[in-house]
Amino acid sequence: MSESVLKLHDVCKRYGDFTAVDNISLSIPKGSVYGFLGPNGAGKTTTIRMILDIIRPDTGQIEVLGSPSAMNVRHRIGYLPEEKGLYKKMKVWAIIAYFGTLQGLSRKQARSKAFELLERYGLSDFANSAIESLSKGMGQKVQVLASIVHEPELVILDEPFSGLDPVNQEVLEQLIRDLSDNGQTVIFSTHVMQHAERLCERLLLITKGRKVFDGTVADAHAIIPRRIVLETCESVDSLQGIDGVLSINRLPPDPTGRPAGSCQWELYVREQADPQEILQHCFSNGVTLSRFDFTQASLHDVFMHLVGTEAREHKFR
Amino acid sequence: MMFLCTWSARRPGSTSSANIMTMRVTLLIANREYLENVKTKGFWLGVLLVPLIFFGIFYLSSRLATATPTRYFVLVDKSEQYASAVDAAIQREHQRHVMQDFMAYLQENRQQTAGTTLPQTSNSRLNELIDDFGNDEVSALDGWVEGGGLDMALQMARPYLREDAPPFEEPRPQFIQAEIPSGIDTSASPDQIVEQMRPYLADERRLNVDGERVPLFALILIPEDVNEDIVRPDSLQTLMTDNNAPRGVQYWTANLTDTRLSNAIQTSLNDAIRQQEYASRGINIQQVRSVQRTRMPVSQLDPNKAEGEEAVSFADTFRQWAPMGFVYLIFISLMQSVQYLLSNTIEEKSNRIIEVLLASVTPSELMMGKLLGIGATGITTIVAWIASFFVFLQVYQSVETAMLVDILDVLLSSELLPYFVFYYLCCYALYAGIFLAIGSLCNTLKEAQSLIMPLMLVLVVPVLTMSFVAQDPNGTMARIMSWIPLFTPFTMMNRAAAQPPMVDIVGTTIVLLICIVAVLWLSGRIFRQGILRTGQPPRIVELWRMIRRRGQQ
Repeated sequence: MSESVLKLHDVCKRYGDFTAVDNISLSIPKGSVYGFLGPNGAGKTTTIRMILDIIRPDTGQIEVLGSPSAMNVRHRIGYLPEEKGLYKKMKVWAIIAYFGTLQGLSRKQARSKAFELLERYGLSDFANSAIESLSKGMGQKVQVLASIVHEPELVILDEPFSGLDPVNQEVLEQLIRDLSDNGQTVIFSTHVMQHAERLCERLLLITKGRKVFDGTVADAHAIIPRRIVLETCESVDSLQGIDGVLSINRLPPDPTGRPAGSCQWELYVREQADPQEILQHCFSNGVTLSRFDFTQASLHDVFMHLVGTEAREHKFR
Repeated sequence: MMFLCTWSARRPGSTSSANIMTMRVTLLIANREYLENVKTKGFWLGVLLVPLIFFGIFYLSSRLATATPTRYFVLVDKSEQYASAVDAAIQREHQRHVMQDFMAYLQENRQQTAGTTLPQTSNSRLNELIDDFGNDEVSALDGWVEGGGLDMALQMARPYLREDAPPFEEPRPQFIQAEIPSGIDTSASPDQIVEQMRPYLADERRLNVDGERVPLFALILIPEDVNEDIVRPDSLQTLMTDNNAPRGVQYWTANLTDTRLSNAIQTSLNDAIRQQEYASRGINIQQVRSVQRTRMPVSQLDPNKAEGEEAVSFADTFRQWAPMGFVYLIFISLMQSVQYLLSNTIEEKSNRIIEVLLASVTPSELMMGKLLGIGATGITTIVAWIASFFVFLQVYQSVETAMLVDILDVLLSSELLPYFVFYYLCCYALYAGIFLAIGSLCNTLKEAQSLIMPLMLVLVVPVLTMSFVAQDPNGTMARIMSWIPLFTPFTMMNRAAAQPPMVDIVGTTIVLLICIVAVLWLSGRIFRQGILRTGQPPRIVELWRMIRRRGQQ
């Protein structure tokens, strides 16, 4: 693993009896796009705030860009908080430039960088508008730009996609890719799996403050065995012998009309198993298939698998 | 994994580069804060409105004196003795007005000589008049009337006037006796006359004066048997036992605030009956007159001034009262700053800007930046007020402003200005910290309003006691208040002109400075934790915990 930009070691944070973050450790390699996933109230924002030294952990250590406090290296970090807000009366370019100067840019640099970003991400028409005249989504884009104006090595975006329309979500995904191409490390939190699936190299999945998964996207997919659904009138017992097939279950009969005597079977197969081989086996053994569904488990399935029940319980608690 | 430090040792040592960074960021925040405040309409409204109101009042009060409408009154003298006395009163009141105007005219149009006193003239009568006018208006008026009034004065003053002096405009009479309206039966009893006149007094009907319909200002009703009501030292007894029935001359008016006419008539009537009295007792009236005009001057002297210059001038009196003006200025400016301190902090909190800010700056930098930026806003306001004062004096010059120029000289030359600057800054630092901490705890201005209420009540105390302190600047109350840090800037400013004892000046300053440091330190702690808080403002116990908690959110 290459050099780490961020390390958490046994970090805990409690609010009274409530444990917001419970013993989280992780290490984020330089230049990666890293997703923080988890249901509402899982502790993503608390973790991010601790990383930024806005609040401090009760126990455990954090090292950001080689420093024990993000405050010491704050000009190398860009941050978009979960709750977005900007000075209502300020002009769009001025607020981006202001955050740039706070992060150490000169006034001139900050100004030209602000206009450059607005141009690149399609906001140059609004450069001189006041923040209060923008829509919520537009304001959010401005705030994202304000958080990266100083070209930070580490960009932390807390729920950057929430409240954006699909077109702007696309623009934001492109922005994150641009940052990554530029060698900047991006951490973002979300509970929408599709973004994570498209963007992230590595993921952290937490629920109720505990880490339930930390690894690459491929690792995540491997957590749930692949699933194949067959429909046939013949016996499927012979499939049991194929290497990689973990289990075969008969699905409950479907009330809607189906050819008489046919059954649906569910096969769980190992990650490495080749569906082609199973199909081949069926053909050569004379198992007539009326259906063969092979689905790659989505990150959503993984998410539901890992936190689904807990998250639902949490919701109705 | 190796960590350089642990959490207990956070925010490592303040190297000089870190200090420069902190300063840079603080100034950036202050700059933004300042520009945002200065850009608002409310700020300019405040900057313009205060001088406008001040000069408006000044202008109006100097104009209103001459702008009071002519008052019409009706005299019903059933005793047929005092009509001339009433007439004399009206004349005298008018002459007094003419004399005042003439003196102002003389001062404005005299030949330019050094000093602010009236020119020394070779004419002894004019000198006497001027002297009387300054010291005893009654004698001056007597002299004025006896000497021939305006004609005489103009003639005497002519050699001393500037060549380009405009002619003197005699003011119009302020009180005019109107005819008794037709249809009023003056032979009826006083009660009935009043009954008949009531519609006029209530302004339901109007008098007809030269074809113009004018309101009745006053009805003077002198009953036939008025002399029976004359009060003499030996008749005081009957006065005490009498019921509420009106006695003597009846003065009816709906206007209770303008007492010039009733005062003039009372003086004049008393004059008339005293003359009768002198005559009936065989006393020489001329001798009485001259005795009455004998007087002993009383000079006001100030022991704190250099020998030979002890005489108390207008400027000296003003210097004693000037600190009150400064106290007001501190108070008004602080009130304005409070507004910004609360609303700007709450805006950042309620709009969630605070979190982005805190990723870029430390809470202390943010707080210091705000203190500086808003402080600069306050100073800008005060400078703008003072500048507008100067502009006003440049544009509008008259007798009245000559007084203002005196005031300005006093302010700028006196030792009061350094006191003001010092106590202004201390007062701001002391209260701004507290208000900023309160702002950091609240999500809405409404929440803040209830929290600042007690502080506002405290702030009103020095303003309420301001005039008592000015009258007895080194008294017990003033001294006690000076030692209460929340009052120190106000009360010590209030006492600044009265040479307070050195122990008070130095002692209270030390206590005040210690208090400011403590307040800013405490406010910083509360601010740091309050600024990220959501939900209701904390209770006292929680607040105490916030202060005591170390390095924990």
